[in-house]
Amino acid sequence: MLGQSYYLFINQYESMKKSLFGCPPKSIRFYYKTLLMVKFIFLFTLIGSMQAMGKGFGQGTVTLKLKDVRISKVIDAIRAQGNYRFVYKDQILPKDEKVSVDVINAPIQQVLGQLFLHTTLSYKFLSEDLIVITNDEPAPEVRTVFATIHGKVTNAKGEPLEGATVTLKNTNKQAVTKADGTFSLETDDLKGVLIISFVGMQAQEVAVAGRSEINFIMQQLTSDLNDVVVVGYSTQKKETLTGSVVQVSGKEIAKSPAPNVVSSLAGQLPGLTVNQRSGEPGRDDPSIFIRGTGTFGDASPLIIIDGVERSLLARLNPQDIESISVLKDASAAIYGARAANGVILITTKKGVKGKTAFNFSYNYAFQRPTKIPQMLDAATFAEVYNEGDWYRKGRPANNTPFYSDDAIQKFKDGSDPVLYPNTNWVHEVLRPYSYQQNVNLQASGGSETVRYLLSFGTMNQDGNFRHNPTFYQQYNLRSKVEADLTKNLTVGANIYAILNNRKYSSVATNVNFINILQANPTIVAQYPNGLIGPGRLGENPLLMDQRGFDAIQDAPIYSTFTASYKIPFIKGLRLDASYNYDMSNQFEKLWSIPYYFYEYNVTTKQYDKKQGTGTSTASLTDTYRKWTTRLYNFRMTYEKMFFTDHHVTAMVGLEQQQTSYSDASAYRKNFVSTAIDQINVGSTAPADKNNSGSATSGAYNNYFGRLNYDFRSKYLFEFLFRYNGSQIFPQNKRYGFFPGVSAGWRISEEPFFRNSAPFVDQLKLRATYGQVGNDRVGPYQYLQSFSFGNNYVFGTSDVPGIYANTMPNPNITWEVSKKADVGLETSLWKGLLGMELTLWMERRSNILAQPNLSVSNVFGFSALPSQNIGKVDNHGFELMLSHRNRVGALQYNIAANIAYARSKIIFMDEAPQSEPYQNLTGHPVGAALYYKGGGIFHTQDELDKYPHGAGAQVGDIRVLDLNNDGVIDSKDQFRFNYSNTPEYVFGLNTNFQYKGFDLTVFFQGQTKAYSYDNTAAVLGGTDFANAVVRRAANRWTVNNPNGMMPRSDAWQPGATTFFLYDDTFIRLKTLEFGYSLPRDLLSRYHVFNDVRVYASAFNLLTWAKQIKWADPEIGGDFTTYPQQRIINLGVNVKF
Amino acid sequence: MKKIFAFIILSGMLACKKNVLDISPQDRISEDAVWSDENLIKAYENELYNAIPHGFYIHMYSKYTDESYNSAPCCGADIFARNTYSPDNITNASGGDFWGGYMYYWNQGYQYIRKANVFLEQMASSKLQFTDKPRLVAEAKFLRAFMYFELIERFGGVPLVMKSYQLGDSASFVRSSFDDCISAIGKDLDDAMPDLPARYLSTDVNFGRATQDACMALRSRAYLYAASALFNPTNDVQKWQKAADAAEALLNRGYSLYPDYRKLFILPSGAAEDEYIFCRSFTSTNGHQAPMNNLGRRYGAYGGWWASNGPSQNLVDDYDMTSGEPAFTWSGGTKTVNAASGYDPNHPYWNRDPRFDATIIHDSTTYHGDLIEMWISKDGNSWGYDSYKQSSDNPRGGYILKKFMPEADVPLSWQTIYTNPWPYFRLAEIYLNYAEAKFELGDEVTCREYLNKVRERAGMPDIQASVTGDALRARVYNERRIELAFEEHRFFDIRRWKIASDIENRPIMGMDIVKDLGTGVTTYTPVQLLVKVPYQDKMNLLPVETNEIKRNPKMGQTLGW
Repeated sequence: MLGQSYYLFINQYESMKKSLFGCPPKSIRFYYKTLLMVKFIFLFTLIGSMQAMGKGFGQGTVTLKLKDVRISKVIDAIRAQGNYRFVYKDQILPKDEKVSVDVINAPIQQVLGQLFLHTTLSYKFLSEDLIVITNDEPAPEVRTVFATIHGKVTNAKGEPLEGATVTLKNTNKQAVTKADGTFSLETDDLKGVLIISFVGMQAQEVAVAGRSEINFIMQQLTSDLNDVVVVGYSTQKKETLTGSVVQVSGKEIAKSPAPNVVSSLAGQLPGLTVNQRSGEPGRDDPSIFIRGTGTFGDASPLIIIDGVERSLLARLNPQDIESISVLKDASAAIYGARAANGVILITTKKGVKGKTAFNFSYNYAFQRPTKIPQMLDAATFAEVYNEGDWYRKGRPANNTPFYSDDAIQKFKDGSDPVLYPNTNWVHEVLRPYSYQQNVNLQASGGSETVRYLLSFGTMNQDGNFRHNPTFYQQYNLRSKVEADLTKNLTVGANIYAILNNRKYSSVATNVNFINILQANPTIVAQYPNGLIGPGRLGENPLLMDQRGFDAIQDAPIYSTFTASYKIPFIKGLRLDASYNYDMSNQFEKLWSIPYYFYEYNVTTKQYDKKQGTGTSTASLTDTYRKWTTRLYNFRMTYEKMFFTDHHVTAMVGLEQQQTSYSDASAYRKNFVSTAIDQINVGSTAPADKNNSGSATSGAYNNYFGRLNYDFRSKYLFEFLFRYNGSQIFPQNKRYGFFPGVSAGWRISEEPFFRNSAPFVDQLKLRATYGQVGNDRVGPYQYLQSFSFGNNYVFGTSDVPGIYANTMPNPNITWEVSKKADVGLETSLWKGLLGMELTLWMERRSNILAQPNLSVSNVFGFSALPSQNIGKVDNHGFELMLSHRNRVGALQYNIAANIAYARSKIIFMDEAPQSEPYQNLTGHPVGAALYYKGGGIFHTQDELDKYPHGAGAQVGDIRVLDLNNDGVIDSKDQFRFNYSNTPEYVFGLNTNFQYKGFDLTVFFQGQTKAYSYDNTAAVLGGTDFANAVVRRAANRWTVNNPNGMMPRSDAWQPGATTFFLYDDTFIRLKTLEFGYSLPRDLLSRYHVFNDVRVYASAFNLLTWAKQIKWADPEIGGDFTTYPQQRIINLGVNVKF
Repeated sequence: MKKIFAFIILSGMLACKKNVLDISPQDRISEDAVWSDENLIKAYENELYNAIPHGFYIHMYSKYTDESYNSAPCCGADIFARNTYSPDNITNASGGDFWGGYMYYWNQGYQYIRKANVFLEQMASSKLQFTDKPRLVAEAKFLRAFMYFELIERFGGVPLVMKSYQLGDSASFVRSSFDDCISAIGKDLDDAMPDLPARYLSTDVNFGRATQDACMALRSRAYLYAASALFNPTNDVQKWQKAADAAEALLNRGYSLYPDYRKLFILPSGAAEDEYIFCRSFTSTNGHQAPMNNLGRRYGAYGGWWASNGPSQNLVDDYDMTSGEPAFTWSGGTKTVNAASGYDPNHPYWNRDPRFDATIIHDSTTYHGDLIEMWISKDGNSWGYDSYKQSSDNPRGGYILKKFMPEADVPLSWQTIYTNPWPYFRLAEIYLNYAEAKFELGDEVTCREYLNKVRERAGMPDIQASVTGDALRARVYNERRIELAFEEHRFFDIRRWKIASDIENRPIMGMDIVKDLGTGVTTYTPVQLLVKVPYQDKMNLLPVETNEIKRNPKMGQTLGW
């Protein structure tokens, strides 16, 4: 019982007596069709129900679990428990109405209220344990002259609530509770239903049922203090949680129409940095960091889905997700050597007892890139090219420009679209929008002993190109079943698959974008007669659909089988076991076929058909890849309350994980026809065939445990550990011990505090400290191994080669992270203000990194192994503020969060830099060297007077001579203090609900991130790469010596701060507006319980501080597949 | 129920393995296996040959000097083409294809030197005996010598590492003198030669492996460099003598100049010829795409983009006339037409050294059955199909590389893999090495004799006995420029001759070819394409990356940098 202080109460009420219309039943079948289904969800807390004991009539509690039984059966059951006696006439109890009751320690009053809600029965306490049930049916015309309902509204702790509203449903009769929690409401009779609501509390409806005194116990709304938070291998109550764990519900994530679950997480979970760098369908997985990057090794977090390290988090069906929680501090120690970068835990939904509930949704969305850079038109391009050409030639006085004035005029006026086109490649290649479609159907429910959830989802996403095969399709299937085999033994299975098909062009997409954005606008994309021209380097993106495809089919199946056994003879002792088998099969088909373009021949005046780059005959590579993970997990949990105040939970477990990977690929070329893309159709000549394969495996062996102790939920203490064994390391270095401790003090539970600051709902101080590891390096680095490859040719034949891999490091071991956290959580005025502040710091040591900074290349080592050499400090804070209120029928909440993380490299085997300001040590991970740009050289005089690099001309960036040695060289580079991983990320989430309407507005943003964009620097170079409009605008020219942008074909000694941009942005990430059809209306038709239509948007608006020409989240060169803006329409139906 | 419980416990016990972490790698071979298996040892040794860069990377060294106009803004190609290389950006050129063709050879070189050292140490300590073992050891020594030569021609004296270090070893490397490096190269070659065959015929399955002749050819080039002005500041005649001797030793080893200069470079690997002494062969699965990186739009190739090796006017001008006379003469930094040569500025491609047409595609060349047209009409409204106006895939300068580019019997497409080998050493170079050394030793007769051997094969008249002294030196230098064009000699030759400060300060030129469509008259106007950053003498040797100097404080940067 302990540790389960909230209970789910679902009462399914089926009336076969009459339909709501009052129409006489026509047939039995009709009865079944018009089942009245009403669902209630109640939350009770143990504390509340215990404290409510013995405070007057009807204050006792009942624990019951019955399904589909007659009301008389329920009454019998209550009577059988011995606390209550009943008096009633048998015939007044309806015989054909069945009810289900599942309550634990629920107040008797509320149980009876629900029980009689849809009957004409009422009850009365004659004494503390004697209840009279009467049927006050018809007598409709006899109007009770005047009646008053009295009562008292308290919270779960029995404290009176002032200001709660009590309304008689469907009337304007209303009362507000006084300071002592009491109210009195005048009614015509003692019938109808009362609605009681209070800020931050779950609204209730109770049938008056003839009573004149009704007391209410209000329960906290879910997403607050009573939330349950998923932590490693178990769950904890939010209010007694001591670690830094944040959680978001699947419901929040499902609001975003983004096809990628991870991209919806940005800004939702303080401490989680999510940057989506590409929007390509199926390849749009963002980078994730927890509390920034605390290591210069692999900084990616551990992702655990339903207990197992699993991939494809981004591809989960958001409708299946119950919650996503993030372990940021030493609470991650239970995951030991893989958890230094934090842990993301995903829990999927499960079925709950009750009649089958169907949940269907359909979404159709339009998507287009958020921002595509505006590139130069042909005439401007020609001008800047001419300038660059002239500078390269040494600025001769007599110059024949590359593009003549005549040609530039033709680019402008479009008089010759064949030879002098003005091609807008973006417009030619990208469609105005493409679509995305999403269908989900979920069924869940359960009986006394078996609970299930079946879910099916499908999603299609089209690419943004014209003439391109890019397409993404995904099927999510899940079946989760739990069965109570006996009273103490529950077994379950959770099997799911994320079948996905990705189809792309046979050419890498980033190449495609270079071929769009940097394609010369003076060359034709498509001739006026419809023939497709060669494009940049003969790789016109309009030809992508003619070059074959790269199709990848993933068929991962994840399975989890669980058993949970409550040892009957030791109360509180439970055994859990799980076996997980994940198998992922991937089949990739890379089909390249010859393609052709047309080119106008000036001599013959004909359009010549020409073969493009790539293969001359169709060639096919089929690759099969297979991954498996097997994981066994056994846990023993003991939970007990000692002497009523001392609550102890202990858990120990062991876990073994084995993974394997293998692949095999087959290649053939010289296909007789391009009509059949199957490997057997290719040429069988030995020179036309090839195949390859490889395999790896890995394993972990772990022991872990957790001990929780709390005194009256007031003083909290936790210890956890993992003894982690990893095959990655040499035999004597494989095991490591990773402990974590934490403590909490709920000040608000202290009597002195409660009395002096009654407006404080919760005030908790917490602290954690622990040691976690990071083992993310290639395996076997302690061995010298060799790989086949680098063949050579003697005579006329290939001879095989082998070469040594990474140098061995026999001493390789874990990276260690020591983490410390302090946090303060509070909730004031019943949720009107919530606040959570966490301060944290971390020291990484033994960071696995290649010591290439100090090892001379003269040693001639091949790749250097990772060595445990680095030290990085990392620190930051997370702050969450929330506000929840109700104004009349408007209910709303606002939650804001901001997180800060900044790392500092303490040691990294850095070779001494030339100047102290160049040291990476002392700077954050990822800080790069830049030359400092100080405007441009406007005149020859300025150039002559200031030191400049050998290549500098008038119009170039004035690179500052930082060390004042009169020479511009690498010593003038300085270490910039930021990287493209933001130091501050923030989110602002607001939800409004007004009658049937709901609105979610979610903003997300980042600051203190900078990225260097080399493509933004391009202008007028010899490679004819097109430039962004802003680069050419106000550039230095002879005629515009005051221009602020560098000249065409500008020279810089390396990356300068001139093209280093602030990545700060705020984005309207998610906007959702929904309308739920009134229940009254729905209940007339008895088909649907809930119908909601909504419109939502993703990345709708973006305010970038500096990068206004491209999406500011790309964080570097803009020639990548852009992020998507999605506008979605959807409908959700529950029945 | 108890059964179920028992089942769970039992399955749990079965599931747990004690030695679950003991997994051997499955995708690689352990070191022990390599050194105990004859085939793996051979595979290891085969791989050592990759140490020596060939010239068919996207960026050929020709664009780093005055052989061609580089239009590649990328990476290593640009820093050399514009002379903006420095210790801060030199690593831009440390890779193959896009990354500069290993011009910055430091990292690649020392990695392979270690591989060779490991091999030599393992072979010395291994008890495993097999027939080819001494030969493989000798080949590794030849390769190590070659690697050191690749290093010193770039950097001057470098640290000599003759043993393999393990990770964690500490060592302080200092640069040996250039001469000590030459001695080390000489010693490796001496050690290698007894266990090597004299030569393999070009049709032999082992052609491409080290031979005695390859050792001698490397020695000839190395000693020639050692005797040159840059490395021989006192002009020690003994060094020239060694260079002459080294070349002379190869003169009568059965090699002969292939009769057709044009065809020599497009023979596929394995074809019969007697000129190549040591080369890198290719196959259709392990080949190159040099033609597609160099030809123009007509063939769907990328010649005008980043990969351009479009020959420069500077090179074109240096081809003699068929009269045997240079077309131009230089004096005081200005170039004038040599009237005696028969050069006609209105028909600049007439009567040139046949190697001009064998090396360069120009306006009116017929190549692959196509008439190449580089002209632009006077009004600018029409142009030849191969002109830069048609496509930026056509080189701006008006010339396309022909050397190494196949004739009509080989298809031109991105789909063809080309197998013509890359010549490291061929007899003509040895002749020119010999001629140069002999000239510096004062033996002008022998010098002319060997220059003329090279010219005769090309169909050029002899250099007359009247050409002597500096004039003859100029002809020696020019003969090397013409004969060995695009074979990656020029970059190093102008530096060792110490003439780079002159050559590299000349702008890179191209040719504007304007045709009057009414009269059909074509006019030729040289056009400046690129002005380089002023050349400094320190650029004669490459700097070492800044970080590498920081890692090796005692080693010292290349002089002047």
